[in-house]
Amino acid sequence: MSWISLEKIKRLGEKFSYANVIENDKGFHSIEVPKENLIDFLTFLKTDPDYSFKMFIDWTIIDHGQKADPRFQGVLILYSPEYKERIIVKTWATNETLPSLTGLWTGAKWAEREAWDMFGIRFEGHENLVRMFLWETYPYHPLRKDFPLRGIEDTELPSLNEKERMDQLEGTMNYSRMHTALPTLEDLEKTQKARMPQKKAQVVLNWGPLHPGTHGTIWFLFDMEGEYVKECDIIIGQLHRGVEKLAENMNVQQIIPYTDRMDYIAAINENHSVCIAAEKLLGIHEKIPEKAKYIRTMMAELSRINSHLLWLGTYALDLGALTMFLYTFREREKLMDILEGITGARFTINYFRVGGVYADLPYGALDAIEHFLKDLPKRINDYETLLTRNRIWLKRNVDVCIITEEDVYDYGLTGAVARASGVPYDLRKIDKYDAYGEVEFDIPVGEKGDSYDRYLVRMEEMRQSIKIVKQCVEKLRTMSKNDPYFYEPEDKKMKITIDGRGTKLFKGEVYAAADNPRGELGVYIYQPKDGIKPFRFRLRSGAFYNLQVFTKAIIGRPIADAITLLSTIDPVVGETDR
Amino acid sequence: MGIKKVGLNKNVAPQSIVEKIFFLDFAKGLKTTIKHLFKRVITVDFPFEVIVPAIRFRGVHGLRNVDGTEPEDFASWVKKLKIKPPEKGETRCIACKFCQAACPVPEIFVIKAEKLDVPEDHPHHGLKVLTQFDMDLGKCMFCGLCTLACPTACIIHTDVYDLSSYTRRGAILNKEQLAKIADDFIARRGKEKFDEHSHWPDTQKVWPEYDLARAKAWDNNPPVFGPNYQDQE
Ligand code: SF4
Ligand code: SF4
Repeated sequence: MSWISLEKIKRLGEKFSYANVIENDKGFHSIEVPKENLIDFLTFLKTDPDYSFKMFIDWTIIDHGQKADPRFQGVLILYSPEYKERIIVKTWATNETLPSLTGLWTGAKWAEREAWDMFGIRFEGHENLVRMFLWETYPYHPLRKDFPLRGIEDTELPSLNEKERMDQLEGTMNYSRMHTALPTLEDLEKTQKARMPQKKAQVVLNWGPLHPGTHGTIWFLFDMEGEYVKECDIIIGQLHRGVEKLAENMNVQQIIPYTDRMDYIAAINENHSVCIAAEKLLGIHEKIPEKAKYIRTMMAELSRINSHLLWLGTYALDLGALTMFLYTFREREKLMDILEGITGARFTINYFRVGGVYADLPYGALDAIEHFLKDLPKRINDYETLLTRNRIWLKRNVDVCIITEEDVYDYGLTGAVARASGVPYDLRKIDKYDAYGEVEFDIPVGEKGDSYDRYLVRMEEMRQSIKIVKQCVEKLRTMSKNDPYFYEPEDKKMKITIDGRGTKLFKGEVYAAADNPRGELGVYIYQPKDGIKPFRFRLRSGAFYNLQVFTKAIIGRPIADAITLLSTIDPVVGETDR
Repeated sequence: MGIKKVGLNKNVAPQSIVEKIFFLDFAKGLKTTIKHLFKRVITVDFPFEVIVPAIRFRGVHGLRNVDGTEPEDFASWVKKLKIKPPEKGETRCIACKFCQAACPVPEIFVIKAEKLDVPEDHPHHGLKVLTQFDMDLGKCMFCGLCTLACPTACIIHTDVYDLSSYTRRGAILNKEQLAKIADDFIARRGKEKFDEHSHWPDTQKVWPEYDLARAKAWDNNPPVFGPNYQDQE
């Protein structure tokens, strides 16, 4: 497991008298530091060659409830690329303030804005602490424990009520006239102003929120000098549904269908993250039946191919290669058929469970997969003939919007974006969750970090995925139809069910992640006592942090490159907004 | 650790001068497109052609009636919940509300059972029947947890996916409508989905092989299904 060892973290505790090591029985040790010393401590962690926790992963808040004093606690997760381990640093936010970490990691900028938006914690030293998802005039901080799950319904919206007809319906299923707050045009104007307080150049160009090129509802603001971007900010949140809040109010199997709706293009991978984290918290990740492990690995890789096919189609479409879209969708259609047959849904899959999968493979599933894989490599070669060495493609991609290795660490970039910049950060190799430790594959790594490298990395990833799926199929063929696909706990205290009823989480704390097509989707669960509902359920979205680097990489580039950059970062708004 | 370097000059050669002058990159691309020009059509002509959903497809819900294929412990569940033992053709639902408990959006369901109004010496005295079972599918996300929770295999997913209506009320189905959907589905495809014992017989296929529209989408070359595991027939 890629976590700092107890001995190493204890040494930290000895070195700094103010630091307090918190041991964890599952191995996820963390360290607590008073907020006055936080910056010094982190500077040491980042720069000391024995630790070198250079890479920013996540920075979030736990609300311990109204009665606790101090109430809020900051949780920082870092990764050390040298030693391949992670650490959690915690600090209490007395007076609801914390020092800003933007001086150490630029990537903390959005994380802190999110924490301010959701918890109302002020970060001292942040350059422009505005809301992340909600509009500027919104009065509440919804992830606080005293904010009701349904929201505060104080706005009347009669148009949503079909008055005449609904009255005939007795009982609870009528729709209420009252609705939670909605932003008005004026609110949006204020929000826009706050996001970009000083104009540097002449024109502010709005791109989105509803523009086909943004692949979802993202609203870009470009401050432009002629054709060149001088300053950029992004307004997201139009798709914010409060998945973290919802997750704090249900059992862990019920959370899984909600994650389908985050990265809806690779729903399986999102489910995977939740399963891995919950299994680690329960301490059963090594006891998952082998069949389930292989099925999950295989499905996750199919889903990665699916996602990359969609990415390739829309990316090429955006850059003007329309036929590509039709070709990739043809292959994707077959893949969707396979997913539908195995899981019961084409898009919002909900197939994985904490403890395995909910049903065994249907008759003929492996044949269908093999049949599909037989011709996929040929198709990928076709795509490459069309694009890879085409002069227009080269002109629009080579040396466009370079993301450096520094950026990867500073912004906490993960997934194909990090790998294209030369950082071989792949959790499938580092964490070896499920069957990834037993299959063979290479990590494609780029050199320069330009758009072209990101393109090549993803193309190669598809080929590697094919390789993994083939190995999984081979292995599954040797198994028996009676092998279990779901873990039955021997321990009396533990209860895990396929339908979720009564599934309990143990006391503890865990951060675990899966390598998704859009980067690392991390799940941080904090559970102060055994219970069904997770107390704090944090989803660290890879797409969210990857999107943040857009605001840097686009500076000084012509506006046409925005399309290329956005497509090669490949965020999905469902996941960035959660 | 296996690392594969990619990049221009790494696994991709840059364009040569000959290629540039003679537009060979375009010519190659055109070759690929022209090749596709002579392939058979793969698009499905909806609504004249319709793909049959896979048998596991999670569509609109249905409530099954008693038809002799109940799970073995059905009678004991009926007894435990003090439900009037259902006749053939009556609903299997025993109002246990397990489906509601498993559902991430419990307000979808309104389930009520009432005591029968019969004299004291009647054999059904003190027993209940299901009087209301409404589902607001407008709020449902078709996750399938309810169907897995049901102890009597009563609530199921059917392959119906066209649940559109002009008002939100149309998304609310009552127990008669749900029962009808289930009956239709069982009559059409019950054999494919269930055997006597289970929701998940291992004869269940990925998708129906008789479906010609789907075969078209597979380049008219659909896979042939065989067993997955070595000890499967
Ligand atoms: S499918 Fe899921 S959301 Fe819909 S009723 Fe069943 S459990 Fe609830
Ligand atoms: S779980 Fe099944 S039997 Fe129980 S109330 Fe729901 S549909 Fe009826």
